[in-house]
Formats: sequence, C-alpha cells, structure tokens
Amino acid sequence: MKSLRHSPAAARFATADLFADAVAAQPATAQPATATRSTSVSPERHLVRPRSARLWYAVVFPELCESRAACMLQRLGVSAQRFTSWVSIEMPNALLLEIKGSVKLFGSLDALHADIDAAWNRLELCARTATAPTTLGALWLARAGKHVQLQESGALAGALADLPIACTAWHPDRLQTLRSMGVTRIGELLRLPRAGLARRLGPAAVVDLDIALAKQAAPRRAFVPRERFRERCDFETEIDTVVYLQKAVHPLVERCALFLRQRQAGVQALELRLRHRVLAETRVRLGLASITGERRRLADVLDEKLQRLELPAPVRSMELRSGALQPLSASSLDVFAGLRGGDRDTAPQLVERLRARLGEHAVYGVMTIAEHRPEAAWQRVHELRLTGTQRAAPHAAAAHAQPLPRPVWLLAEPEMLRAADLQRLQEGALILEEGPERIESGWWDGRGVARDYYIARQVHGARWWIFQERHTQDWYLHGFFA
Amino acid sequence: MPREVSTLADILADARVWKLKDASAAPSRPVWSTGRPVLDACLPGGGWPTASLVEVLLETTGLGEIQLFLPALAACQCKTDGEARWLVWIAPPHEPYAPALVQQGIELGRLLVVRPASATEALWAAEQALSSGVCAAVLLWLKGTDDRWLRRLKLAAEEGGGLGVLFRPERHRFESSPASVRLLLTRGEHETQLELLKVQGGRPGHVALDVS
Repeated sequence: MKSLRHSPAAARFATADLFADAVAAQPATAQPATATRSTSVSPERHLVRPRSARLWYAVVFPELCESRAACMLQRLGVSAQRFTSWVSIEMPNALLLEIKGSVKLFGSLDALHADIDAAWNRLELCARTATAPTTLGALWLARAGKHVQLQESGALAGALADLPIACTAWHPDRLQTLRSMGVTRIGELLRLPRAGLARRLGPAAVVDLDIALAKQAAPRRAFVPRERFRERCDFETEIDTVVYLQKAVHPLVERCALFLRQRQAGVQALELRLRHRVLAETRVRLGLASITGERRRLADVLDEKLQRLELPAPVRSMELRSGALQPLSASSLDVFAGLRGGDRDTAPQLVERLRARLGEHAVYGVMTIAEHRPEAAWQRVHELRLTGTQRAAPHAAAAHAQPLPRPVWLLAEPEMLRAADLQRLQEGALILEEGPERIESGWWDGRGVARDYYIARQVHGARWWIFQERHTQDWYLHGFFA
Repeated sequence: MPREVSTLADILADARVWKLKDASAAPSRPVWSTGRPVLDACLPGGGWPTASLVEVLLETTGLGEIQLFLPALAACQCKTDGEARWLVWIAPPHEPYAPALVQQGIELGRLLVVRPASATEALWAAEQALSSGVCAAVLLWLKGTDDRWLRRLKLAAEEGGGLGVLFRPERHRFESSPASVRLLLTRGEHETQLELLKVQGGRPGHVALDVS
C-alpha cells in the first residue's frame, strides 16, 4: 500500500480498501483503524461490532498516572460493568461504555449519565464524560471537555465541528502537519477534500473521521476482567490428618464452583496452598484434562490428589486459588451430562482421575511419525485430545505403503540374538518367513541405520521381528508379533 | 378343571428355562469377532463378549495374543454415531508400537497407555477405566493378583459395558477365576496352541488356530 500512496487516485483506492476491511469487521484487518489510540490490554476480549443503534458513553481521565494507567483502567472497567456489560478500554486514559441497552433499566439517559458520572466523583477522579452515537465521536467530545449527550447521529457533524483537532489524540506529527495547513478545528478538517487528506495524513485519519461521523462501523473489543478465584480458610486448631483436610476443603471447592458458575467460566488448573507453622507452605497443584467449573469434578480430583499427600507438618490454614478463568463451551456445560446417563464419567474425567493418582506421565497416548527408522516412527503424546468427535482422516503414516507388517511390541533397544537363537536360525528352527525389508536411513543425524528386517517364526509359533545389521552382519531382535 | 397341557414349545418359551444353545445363539450384549472363524465358533454369540472379563494365560509373550483381539479392538472403537471410543492399555510388557496399530486399523487418537507403578495401582486403574463407561476395551497385563480383585474387575466391566481383557502368566491356570472366558496360549510342537479353559455359555476345549 505504501508504494501506491504517491498518486491521489491510488490513495483513494487504498482508502476504499481499508473501508471495506473495516466494514467487514474482521478483527485483524480492522485493527489499523483503531491501533493509533486503543491498545488491547487483556487478551481475552470479545469482539463486538457496534451497530448504528448504539450509544456510547466515553469517559476520559486526564490526570491518570501514565505508569499505572493500564492497571487503573482495568479496575475502573470492572466497576463500570455495573452499568453495562459492554466496556472497552481505550488506552491511554479512557473507557467506552455502550449504554443503549441500559437506558431503559436506569429510567432515562439523563439519569444513567448522571449515575455513571457520580461513580467517578465518588472515587474523586477527575473525569470528562460525553455520550454520542459513535465511539470516536463520544471520545473526542469527552476529551474536549464537552459534557454533552448526543443521541442522533445527524447532530454529530455539528457538535464535532467546534472541537480542536487535539481532541483526536492523533500523533503529534500529524497534528503539527494539520496546524501548518492552518487547520485547528475538526470542522475545518471535514471541509478538506478526502483524497488530499488521505494523502497527507494517511488513510487511517480519514477512517477515523468516518467512524466519528457514523459513516463507518468501528469494531471494539469488550473488556473481560481477568479474575481468579482465591479464598483462604484458617483453622482454629491445626489439622494433621488428610481426612480432615479433605472435609475442610469441600466448602472452598463449592464456593469456587459457584464463583465459576456466576461467570459462566471454567478453569483448567487449581492450586491448594497449605500453610504450616514453621515449614514452607505445601502446594498441591491440580491440572484438569479439560476446562470445567463443575463442583463434583473439581472435588473428585482434589480428593484423589489429597489422598496421596503426606503432610510434612500440621496445617494452620489453606488457600484455594484457581488458574485463569476460561469460557465454557456448550459441550462442557453440565446440563448435557445428565443426558448421557446418570453420573457416568467422561473421558477427560477418567484421564484426570488416573493422572491424579498415578502421575502426569503415567498416562499417555501414542502417535506415528512418518519416518523410516522403526524406533523413530512413533512417540508418546502427553497432550491428549480428549474431546472432539471427528474420526481422524486416514493417517499419513497409514497411507505410506508399508511393505511388511509391523510388530505390536517394539523393544526399547534392539537386543542382539543369543548364540542359541543364532544356531537355531542356521539350523532352520527359526524360520525367516518374510523379508528382507531393507531399511537404510538417518545417515544425516548420526544415528543412521542399515538393516535388513525379517519376520521370523519359531517352530512353536511365536513370531519375532529381527534384523541383520548390514555392516556388522550381526542379528538383532527388535519386536514381537504378539 | 383339567390341568393345562404344556407343550415342548411352551416349556421352551418359559423364561425360567435356560437353554444352552440359545445362550450361544443370542447373547444379550454385542460381541466382537476375533477375526478367526474357528475361534468365533467356540464362543457364545460368535466373538468376544462385552461387559465381561476375558482372561488370557500366556506361556510367553509374542504368541499372537494381541492378534486375537486386534480385529475386535478396531471394530469396537467405531460406534454408529461416528465418535471413536477409547481403548486403554494398562501396564503392557513393551511399548505398543504405533505404526503396527495403525496398520491394524486402530484409531490412535483414542488409545491411552497407562503405566502404573505397582500391581495394585494397575488394578485400580483398570477398575476405573472399565467402570467409567467411556472405554470400549481395557487391556491389562498382570504378573499375579488375587481372586477378589478379579471379581471387582468383572463387576466393573459389567457396569461399564466394555470388553475387559486380562493377560496373566500361565502359572495361574489352576487358580479359580471369575472371568467369562479363560484361554491358554502355549508353545506347541509346530504352532501356538490355544485352549479354552472356560467359556460361559459355550464348550471349553482345544482350538486349532493356525490353518494358514
């Protein structure tokens, strides 16, 4: 796009492209329009495409300490969620609230506006607020200190015309360019020809103007607070048996489950910290095979883990902490658990229970790797895909035409055939049924093999997978056809 | 009042009369074929029974014991609703070799290998897996165990509805076992010998396996 910027006509095309992108409301492509000012703070935010029938309340905190702005805005965002479920953080110092849906609840726009304003006053924060039908319109009005409530997008152009260009919070260079052109107000800016403006200021500026005037939609990401469950429980007397500990932890788990249910979220990790009088605290970490917020499942896994715990010292207090909250998908909601027949387990629950007792690495899956060396053609999988209904397409390795069957058991290391076996091989008591299958590979990584594989049958029926090393002519046993 | 005359058909229709032939002809649970018609013919319903325990006594590993179950394992993984079910292998004597399993049509994404530290842990894991109802089949390798645990495994299998297979060394052949099917694999003169020690609803005896 940069190379096209020299000709005005090309610039128009370039801008048009951007418009099209933003209207399509693709998060990735719409970013350039807003990236100048609003930086995302929390990664887990929902993308909402604002419609024209929205009303935006913008609040700017001009005195916010720059170093702590992100943290402060998150807290303010949480408190602003009292008024609307939809809050967006606009770095460096502003919040945007979508309040159309809340107007009816609070009686009138005036009442709502006053209520939100009062919230900042109570916190003794210097806040400038404004309401407008567009995100940028509201922000610009608030930055300029106009305490207005616009409801009609038709009135936007008039209201914005008076504002100084500094309220756009554009880059100082861009503002300097405008000032040198003699432009100090938004109104003057709007009167300039689009193509020229796009060429001098970059297409993003034109997009901003369009967003402010409701000519174009501007996707915003809703702020989702990053919360964790954390609750502590102190004991009156020290607890030195695990059984009592298990009983004591249940109310905490119950509250954790309630906390999660209220937020329609689940967790994949929990940590229980047990504090002792002298020793350092004991930490019991739980990893769950899938996201859950179900009390029974959390309690089961925690129980299993506690059963195997040896307390180094009596426990004075404990604290349950959740990992990051994650949204529950429809399939993980417990509502459907009942349909599958009572309290039957699901695969994630089974794996969790096994892992809680036997250890993380005692339960694993296996996968094939497209590789000619037999010992390198498979590996363990510890990250199991426990849900997902689709049957995998025929595996790539299966598509390989493998000339000879492979044994079910593979020895970890090939074993050299004993003298007795060698003799039987020569006598014909160990019959080479199939083969040779020559495998010659891996010379590039220093573990090269050059082997001739055979399927050998013993007279009494057992079948072995043996090979002859081609350089040394030694015979090895590598697997059993069980 | 004349006594009601019972015909043979009436008697046979009575639910209280247990018929050996019927038991083998129409089992209440689905069965999975062993892939060998000779063996299928000896098993009630023509295959490995589900919701029960099968015990395999081995003289040595590598006698084709897995081959007897691979067709059943591949078949029982597929369900009609398209979701593959789980297979759990507990304490196998060697590493299950993934390429071989793929060759046999097993869905690797639905296979769990469990390596417990002790025999009790292995039995516990098997009980959990069998009773969970998410596993189509659970294979367990053990050196030795007691009757009580086997009974628990059988109950778990009945509860979960999967196929439970227990591999044990041959020396346990004279111990009592609650398994529905017990078979013994030994090295023969020219080929592996398979002997059915116990078949609920069928006839025990030698089976000539390898005709190839």
